[in-house]
Amino acid sequence: MDKDNEDLTKVISITLRTAVVVSMFFIVSGVVLMMIKGGGDGYTLAQISSYNTTSPTTLRSNLVPLSNMPSGIIDLDGIYFISLGLWVLIFTPVIVLISAVIDFVVSKNYLYVLLSAIVLINLTVAIFYIGPYLHLAS
Amino acid sequence: MTEVMTLLKFIEIVAGGIIAGIIGSVTGLGGGSVLVPILTLFYGVPIIFATGASLISTIATSAGSAGTYTKKKIANVKIGVGLEVATTLGAIVGSLTVTVVYKYSLEWVLYLLFGIVILTSIVPTINRGKYEGTKVVKPDFTSRIFQLQGKYYDQNQKKSVEYIGIRWWLGEIIMFFAGMLSGLLGIGSGALKVLGMDWAMNLPMKVTTTTSNFMIGITAATSSSIYWYNGFIQFYLAAATAIGVLIGAIIGSKILLKISNKDVRWVFFAILSYLGVEMALEGLRKGTFINLSGLDRFYIAIAISAVLIISLYVIFRIGERNGQRQ
Repeated sequence: MDKDNEDLTKVISITLRTAVVVSMFFIVSGVVLMMIKGGGDGYTLAQISSYNTTSPTTLRSNLVPLSNMPSGIIDLDGIYFISLGLWVLIFTPVIVLISAVIDFVVSKNYLYVLLSAIVLINLTVAIFYIGPYLHLAS
Repeated sequence: MTEVMTLLKFIEIVAGGIIAGIIGSVTGLGGGSVLVPILTLFYGVPIIFATGASLISTIATSAGSAGTYTKKKIANVKIGVGLEVATTLGAIVGSLTVTVVYKYSLEWVLYLLFGIVILTSIVPTINRGKYEGTKVVKPDFTSRIFQLQGKYYDQNQKKSVEYIGIRWWLGEIIMFFAGMLSGLLGIGSGALKVLGMDWAMNLPMKVTTTTSNFMIGITAATSSSIYWYNGFIQFYLAAATAIGVLIGAIIGSKILLKISNKDVRWVFFAILSYLGVEMALEGLRKGTFINLSGLDRFYIAIAISAVLIISLYVIFRIGERNGQRQ
């Protein structure tokens, strides 16, 4: 394996493990906050732990507006801590891919610049466009 | 009181996640393939939330174990990223399909598909131990263009292993379907990824498994965002399983690096085949093709999976003996 690939490997390894630690910190503290406060984001523990898919009061991801995240975090709301932890996980691959693109640019490996850019586009399109705006089911 | 019950329920899910994480990591199938059956069959979680939670824990697993593997320089990041072109596209197609599946209440299809995926994953996973080294093949034109070469240090063989990949295009095609299944079922579809890299591209099993682990996170993240906005992620469940599966995966990856491929397998195949048959039966029941009580389903699943795994064991052992004779 060539030198540049080794550096990339190191960066990715650190990114991945840092992201997991950060995300787990938020998820675990979110759960603790949620348990202490007996709920979060106006939902009771019973509603939060419900599996009922048809009930409108079951707390599921589309009911938590991401725009409320900053205020939710400041209010020490468990649900927003968990949300942030989950989004750190969802975003980790984006960071990994960006570091891959940069690395391939530096090593002038243009074929892989192109390939990793396509992957990055697929991922960001899913996160920022298809997710929020394209709802086939509704 | 509610707090205590909620906490206990939480810990229970974490425990299920740990088991799923260990099995998923050691077999290379990913925690999701085990987590979804456990959640749906034993915890009574609707498959929509089970797959959502599974996707999240799949990213956590992938990041956790890929961090370890990439550090040990076994995973090939370059090959992984190149193949992600197809898996991310597949993931988008798959997770959009799933929104339609739920709209028309066709959940039984997912159960059935899930069962089939698990059961068909078993044979490639069994075959995995057959060749620890790499077969020597002639590099083709994609080996050169896509720079499909690398080397890693094998702890068991105590030597550096060099390898060359071939048939990049075939790998990409298989990866598209792997991505689609990932989006549909909330799993990493490690088995298909392994099939794509091991069988199609002739990469060594250790590289395949670890690169697959690295790729799974990117694929799952693509689907996760689509799942998120459609409300398929239930926080409580996702939080518990992410914690559990991650812990399990860390334990599993430690086991995986220490043992030879051959030692682990049969115990896990038995569990996997049981879960696979159960999921398929549950799919048929939900689709009202068969009428089974939970207990009947359990006994039938045990019987079918026992027959399956014993015959696979016999076939595999005979094959191995013939292989030694030659």
